[in-house]
Amino acid sequence: MPKIIIDGKEIECRDGIPVLQAALEAGWDVPHYCYHPGLSVVASCRLCLMEQKMPHPQTKEMGWAPKLFPSCQTPVKDGMEVRFHSESVENNQKHVMEYYLLNHPLDCPVCDKAGECSLQDYSEKFGNATSRMVEDKHKNPKKDIGPKTLLYQDRCVLCTRCVRFADEIAGTGELAVVERGSRGEIDVFPGEPLANDLQGNVVDLCPVGCLLDKQFLFRQRVWNLQTVPSVSPADSSGACIWIDANDAGVHRVRPRFNERVNEWWISDEQRHGFEYVNREDRLTRPRIRENGQVRGASWEEIPAHLRAAFAGDGSAFVISPMLSNEEAWLLATFARQVAPNAVLACGHVPVEGQDRSFPKGFTIRAEKAPNRGGVERILAHFGGPQMSFDELCGQAADGTLKAVYVYGGYPAAWITPAQAEQLSRLDCLVVHDLFDGPLTERADLVLPAAPWTEREGSFTNCDGLVQAFERARPPRSGIKAEGQFFQELCGLPGLFRSAKIRTMLGESIADLAETFQPRKEPEHAH
Amino acid sequence: MPYEQILMRNVGVKNSQSLKVYQQAGGYASAEKALKMSVEDLVEFVKGGNVRGRGGAGFPAGIKWGFLPKERETTYLCVNADESEPPTFCNRVLMEHDPHMMLEGILIAGYATRTNVAYIYMRGEFTEQFHIVQKAVEQAYEAGYFGTNILGSGYDLECYVHRGAGAYVCGEETGLIESLEGKRGWPRIKPPFPAIAGAFGKPTVVNNVETLAVLPHIIERGLDWWNGLGTANSKGTKMYCISGPVNRPGCYEAPLGISTRELIYGEDFGQGMRDGMKVKACSPGGLSMGFLRGDLFPENPSKGEVDLTSDYDELDCILDFDDVRRYDLLGLGTAAAVVVAEDTDIRRVLTNVCRFYALESCGQCTQCREGTAWMYKIAQRIEAGAGRSFDLDLIEEVTKNMGMMPGMSICGLPDGAAWPIRTLVQKFRAEFEQHLAAQAPNAAAERIIATNPAAYDLPVLQGRALQPSGGTYLVPKD
Repeated sequence: MPKIIIDGKEIECRDGIPVLQAALEAGWDVPHYCYHPGLSVVASCRLCLMEQKMPHPQTKEMGWAPKLFPSCQTPVKDGMEVRFHSESVENNQKHVMEYYLLNHPLDCPVCDKAGECSLQDYSEKFGNATSRMVEDKHKNPKKDIGPKTLLYQDRCVLCTRCVRFADEIAGTGELAVVERGSRGEIDVFPGEPLANDLQGNVVDLCPVGCLLDKQFLFRQRVWNLQTVPSVSPADSSGACIWIDANDAGVHRVRPRFNERVNEWWISDEQRHGFEYVNREDRLTRPRIRENGQVRGASWEEIPAHLRAAFAGDGSAFVISPMLSNEEAWLLATFARQVAPNAVLACGHVPVEGQDRSFPKGFTIRAEKAPNRGGVERILAHFGGPQMSFDELCGQAADGTLKAVYVYGGYPAAWITPAQAEQLSRLDCLVVHDLFDGPLTERADLVLPAAPWTEREGSFTNCDGLVQAFERARPPRSGIKAEGQFFQELCGLPGLFRSAKIRTMLGESIADLAETFQPRKEPEHAH
Repeated sequence: MPYEQILMRNVGVKNSQSLKVYQQAGGYASAEKALKMSVEDLVEFVKGGNVRGRGGAGFPAGIKWGFLPKERETTYLCVNADESEPPTFCNRVLMEHDPHMMLEGILIAGYATRTNVAYIYMRGEFTEQFHIVQKAVEQAYEAGYFGTNILGSGYDLECYVHRGAGAYVCGEETGLIESLEGKRGWPRIKPPFPAIAGAFGKPTVVNNVETLAVLPHIIERGLDWWNGLGTANSKGTKMYCISGPVNRPGCYEAPLGISTRELIYGEDFGQGMRDGMKVKACSPGGLSMGFLRGDLFPENPSKGEVDLTSDYDELDCILDFDDVRRYDLLGLGTAAAVVVAEDTDIRRVLTNVCRFYALESCGQCTQCREGTAWMYKIAQRIEAGAGRSFDLDLIEEVTKNMGMMPGMSICGLPDGAAWPIRTLVQKFRAEFEQHLAAQAPNAAAERIIATNPAAYDLPVLQGRALQPSGGTYLVPKD
């Protein structure tokens, strides 16, 4: 590990990274726009310039070189000495910040980025309170560049991160800079909108409010949002995300750095696929069918009901890959408590096409459920009678099975009419799901489920990586979150805490006990 | 003609573009001689002549070739024929009248750098010249000067003419390479330098047309002859351009080391100013190198000394690679002088200079992209009679941030933009002040409010526009 001196302080840093990255990781706030660790270096914003000690050309004596160096383009070298706090560096920052605002419309009050905009932050910290520009501003147009993205060119700082993303990560190259000098604009080619499956990342990459997500447009001010770390359930890759939510619901999903899985990016389905959690028609009350009549039920009466219905032979539990490791373990534990010979089945695993890889290795998985690996690992641990979901439906139809507990939790309709028909022949069908569907109509007991944003736990991704996610919102009124409910079924006291259950689970399944923590990455783009 | 015409010997000769005429004057004999030398000897020979690049930066060509890695498979030679520095036209004259001289230089340089492919990157606006050079290349192929096994030496060289799309920045070597590769002509960050990874990721040498054109003559006449021409650090012959209101504008050849005054007034060069006018300003080395004060100003009483702080005549500046620096010029550049006569409003000169760089900045680095456009707007306002004394300070400050320190940005364009603008504002400050004093007292404030009400209304700007001084972000240094 090389040691370098920044502003007189010696720090140790990773090998082969630029000085800028080393400084950011060590806690320096160095302004920068064009640099992003996931993209190639262009060194064009000229804001991260630093002073460097160099041998004098004649005397060979070490001293501060008269010219400034871009810290994003200078790799760390053991023993090098640089500084960011000096007159000439700060002069340059002041000038460059002034340049950025020359033609900027200063429309922060209506800008989605306001509050997390690095143009605001850097102006505050490194820039000037006033501008010396008295001329007319150059006004660039607002453009609709794709089905999901808008481009407000007047706010652009031409860092070209979005262009490099489209070229290097997505590999589709829809974006380009057109025109020259201060008239330069980001644009798409005629008839070729920005429509690749990773395009949402350009909005995160944009350090200012130039690229805007149509889903989030004018929806919330960012300072009213609470952010929690989570893991995307949209596919089996286990991409790390941030969830931005408040009392009005979940508003935005952004990528969270994870060197093992998604690095800095997420796919558009991971980003935009959360809207179902805000749907008005979600199930919110347990329902029971008694003597052909459906009535609302209270959560208190459910456990006794389940124990009675599932006590005998011929009972089965469908454990969905949408459940976390902890919830799956609790449900399986309950199943074996109430009926030692109960059949355990992994729920339906939605698959769409093939895995799709992008140039730098980002992969969209075909399997659209987050935790098949974890559920199968837990089922393997429990052993006993097991079968696939299809077999289970068949056995429900031919009368081998009497009572089945089906946990769904999928964002969209998932069961085929034939399977629903097969399951409807059971003596007792319990359906635990998010929305009404063909199965809830036929169920004897319907339990409302909570989406992953309202739960906590851990998912095991397609490569066996266990990652924890936190609760972004409390369960919607009337819903008892799965963890709490299953814990009560198992007769465990107290409030559900995923870490506590994970410890208990780890005593029997050691490889699910430890969760992976990604390296903490400095904020590069907000 | 007191000076021997070497590069321009065929100018004015009938059919000078043809191979036959060139061969009659001994053409391609040097290439034959060079191909018989070993590559190492040839490189050492050229280093001995200290041929400094004619494209503007004055970097010695032999040393540039020496940067190529020893172990390499493919090397490219790019010929920089993207001559777009205002008011330069020496490469154009050369290509129009004697394209084979350049082609012979390409053959020699190609052999010296072990190149098998040479690209002539030609400015997009050169239409006629393109056809002339293209025809010359075809003739050279037919005569066996390009292709495989050239002159029986076993050396192969392919030569292609590539036309640019008309951007000033594509004359910068890495911008040229990007453009050649079919990309947007944005200069690359260095390192890696083109000698290590240039065109298509391979070691590449970029040389100017004139630099290559002198090679056959050095080989033909020897180093003693070459080193006998010019001044201490600037050897050889150079094509000078002179334009503006002089009696005989044009391109003239002379050994390095003539003075600006000689270029304007000399019998062999400009032959003096039209209508006997005085020179107000002169940009002697291509626009980017900066301006000199003309003979409108009094003579410096202490001969030989340079006093930049007083308004003295500076036309004694010697046009070689060294003396220009004493007069606060960036360098010799392309040695193309443009003269500003006494009847020209210096504010118009400033606007015109600012306009060029605002239009030609590639837009990559922030300082250059925003700074050039901002200064153009300020210059327009000053020209319209609504300037402030503070504007001059502001322009000076912006130029100092943009280009005071060569190397602050990816390429040299902002240095080249800052130099003429700063020297204009500094050296002709008195005239600017005169114009400001003659303005209507409230002209600046009224124009600012009219064009940009925000400057007046926005509380954050605190009505700063109307204040005589806007302050500085530069901390003064001793």
